[in-house]
Amino acid sequence: MTALPKSENLSLTVNGKPVAMPVPQGVSMQEFLHEWLGLTGARMGCGQGICNACTVMVEEPGKLPREVRTCITGAHWFEGKTIRTVEGHARQNADGSLTLSPVQQAFVEGFAFQCGYCTPGFVTAATVLIERLKAAPVPREAVERVVTEALDPHICRCTGYVRYHAAVRDLVLATPGLVTA
Amino acid sequence: MRKPLIALAGLAVGGAALAGLVFSGALNRSVVSSKVETPLTAEQIKQLAPHGAKVAAAADCYACHTARGGAPWAGGMPFETPFGVIHATNISPSPEGIGGWSRAAFHRALRDGIAPGGRHLYPAMPYTSYRGMSEGDVDALFAYMTTRAPMPVANAKNGLAFPFDQRWTLAAWNFLHLPASVAEPDPERSALWNRGRYVTEALGHCGECHTPRDLTQGLRQSQALTGAVIEGLEAPDITPTGLTRMGFSPASLATFMGSGLSAQGSATHQMFDVVHFSTRHMDRADLTAMAAYLFDRDALAEEAPPAPPTPAPVAADVTARAEKTYAGLCAGCHGAKGEGIPHVSVPMRGNASLRTASASGFVRAVLAGLPAQSFPNGERMEAMPGFAADLDDAAIVDLTNWMRAEWGGQAPTVRAQDVASVRATLTTRHAAGE
Repeated sequence: MTALPKSENLSLTVNGKPVAMPVPQGVSMQEFLHEWLGLTGARMGCGQGICNACTVMVEEPGKLPREVRTCITGAHWFEGKTIRTVEGHARQNADGSLTLSPVQQAFVEGFAFQCGYCTPGFVTAATVLIERLKAAPVPREAVERVVTEALDPHICRCTGYVRYHAAVRDLVLATPGLVTA
Repeated sequence: MRKPLIALAGLAVGGAALAGLVFSGALNRSVVSSKVETPLTAEQIKQLAPHGAKVAAAADCYACHTARGGAPWAGGMPFETPFGVIHATNISPSPEGIGGWSRAAFHRALRDGIAPGGRHLYPAMPYTSYRGMSEGDVDALFAYMTTRAPMPVANAKNGLAFPFDQRWTLAAWNFLHLPASVAEPDPERSALWNRGRYVTEALGHCGECHTPRDLTQGLRQSQALTGAVIEGLEAPDITPTGLTRMGFSPASLATFMGSGLSAQGSATHQMFDVVHFSTRHMDRADLTAMAAYLFDRDALAEEAPPAPPTPAPVAADVTARAEKTYAGLCAGCHGAKGEGIPHVSVPMRGNASLRTASASGFVRAVLAGLPAQSFPNGERMEAMPGFAADLDDAAIVDLTNWMRAEWGGQAPTVRAQDVASVRATLTTRHAAGE
């Protein structure tokens, strides 16, 4: 019989809330989010770092946010980090209702997703892109390219790429400060 | 005051003598026989072309003479050399390429390094190796190349500094480095070994990367195949000692060359292109002969693979830090115990990249990642992300030393400057973790 893996304390900030608990070594971030925190939005697709349905945002002070694949990254790698999962994008109002993030709203309005399985990854990618454009706007003619580059690693088995792309492009063009004059 | 004058005069006399020798043709030592002055008939060309396809694959002509994304055989692939950039030329049968070349001209370019009009080829074209090719194989290659589609693509201009842009000076280089005669089969050795030598040395030109070069960029034949540095990465030692060190047996080496994959991992960096464009298309018999020659065997028998490496001792604090990094960033694909995932990612336990003398290839993969790669029979390895933005040099030193010690059996001797020198070769996109 193999011994159970040793647990180690893991502390990080998830969707604005501090989290601290013992977690066995070798647990993936995906498992940790699903099984320990009950946050099942970061999806298990390929489990091999290819489809990007499992990505979350890592937000470090003074640095641009990054997308990280949780299926191939160990939970303890996130020690001390601040992350945002798809559950952390919409704002909860005082009356309990939700206000979607601009990216989520754009996806709804653009009928961007079909079955929705890959959507959390696309929300993460588009949000990271918009945060990066706020820091470093691009010329209008570069928008198609940067949107393509940001969404390219994400696989959608319904092949809904065109609407995802159009929704993000339109949002970038409509949001002040993301495109240089 | 007089000495510099004398030295200068000596230099001038020497230079004039060299130029005289060059232009007199005394340095030209052709190995091409007058037999090839007779053109091949259309029927002969048709018959020879299929064998020529095999020669072209074994000699890996395509990898250099086709720019990535460019027209087949139309050249344009750039090569960074210590003297400037050289572009591979168009070798399709168009006016820009070898269209109109005679059989004899093709032989002289391939084996003497001299193109029509007496133009010297740069030794980036491995004519010093191809010099050993048989007349029959060169004829077959000529037949194959002249029956490809002509590509009207102009040759790119080279960016060589003076005096390296003076092609006539290569006559002197050839005098130093072009063997006067061609190796004859060794009657003391088996047909298998002799075929292996021909495939390895003449066709495969393995020594062009795996043999170190001297100051004038000639191959140091006394250190043949003992490994060299190409574009900042190690082309490892492929002598019997070096191959055994990487964990290869003759059989697994032949498998590796034919498929790009074996228990020792996958062909990576420049070696992936060698497998992809050349060795995977070679006959199994030739791969076996190559393995026999590289292991210096006259015959191959069933034999057990070399014993797995014995872990080398490594400091406890290094292990603790490296295990954290490995569990966080590597284990998801390469497995908690370095076992890998079939069809996705290679095993790291026993991986050849952890056993070579230099860790440069491994460090480069950690920093810059690797693209997804296709191998024969539908086999595929997925892309590896680069970790240049996630891991600093100290973290990579720990990870490399621990993995090399634990799974490669190598003493933990990698230092921060080893990682820094590989990091210095990365592009800005790699460095940003993109």
